[in-house]
Amino acid sequence: MFRTFKGRRSDMHDPDADDVARAGQGDRRAAARLIGKHAPKLLTVARRMLGAQAEAEDAVQEVFLRLWTHAARWQPGKAKFETWLYRVMMNQCYDRLRRRPTAPLEAAEDVADDAALPDTGLDEGVLGREVARALDGLPERQKAAILLCHFRELGNIEAAEIMGISVEALESLLARGRRGLRSRLEHLKRFAGDGL
Amino acid sequence: MTDKRSDRDFAERVLEHLPRPASSPTFEAALLASYDAWNAERAKGLWAAWNAGLRRFSETVWPDAPLWAPASALVAALVIGTGLGAALPAIISTDEPGFSLEQPESFNLFASEGTQEEDL
Repeated sequence: MFRTFKGRRSDMHDPDADDVARAGQGDRRAAARLIGKHAPKLLTVARRMLGAQAEAEDAVQEVFLRLWTHAARWQPGKAKFETWLYRVMMNQCYDRLRRRPTAPLEAAEDVADDAALPDTGLDEGVLGREVARALDGLPERQKAAILLCHFRELGNIEAAEIMGISVEALESLLARGRRGLRSRLEHLKRFAGDGL
Repeated sequence: MTDKRSDRDFAERVLEHLPRPASSPTFEAALLASYDAWNAERAKGLWAAWNAGLRRFSETVWPDAPLWAPASALVAALVIGTGLGAALPAIISTDEPGFSLEQPESFNLFASEGTQEEDL
């Protein structure tokens, strides 16, 4: 499972390597540290990818289960732990999205509904929901690229490694995703004013 | 390029408005519980592997015998060996009091007797 990524990084310092090795040997405190450090961010990305909180929590649980079973075999220097972790998480999300019986959200074109918005000002909650809706309307890979780069604050190289694509392909996904977001949310400018 | 940059800036601004789901302590506790469950299974697995290895070893040294037979033979050998190891040096040192490993003076080939200086 611990695959070597393109462009092997034997010289990199992996801040989690020690905790992963310890957790693999049964050190509960090391496991707790890994959970505390990575679970919140994983959950944020999973929640945005999958939409439902419960399903996102299930996906993150699955990721950590996979981590425990592979921790003892972790080989530092082959891949950065965090990159591997996010890759497993993204695969979990893709699998779950594919297993869904209904058509994916991106199949339906989002139509901006100005009538639902108040005339003056825009409540933060409403704005958040609109943004979430626009994000959900993006194709899943564009959404993944945006989420990894925005919420994880990853560099393009690392995000591309997680998604298993080239940096150029990632940049293309990002550009298309951002353009899509803008076209879906442009109408909000009128209500949100300088906030957008 | 300018379009790309303004798209990026726009996306960064709007994404700031997205509510971020909080990871509850309950959820993190559930993750830790899954670790505990895995760890317990793993410990069971290690114990089972140890038992299986021991059984294979006993089958090799004493086929068709129950596990206690080679185990007790091993323990008996260990006790006898340790006992002998502890007692033998004391027996040897008291049996022959005149015995010594020191060589007599005349056998020391490297002893200097003042002749070396004359040779030089």
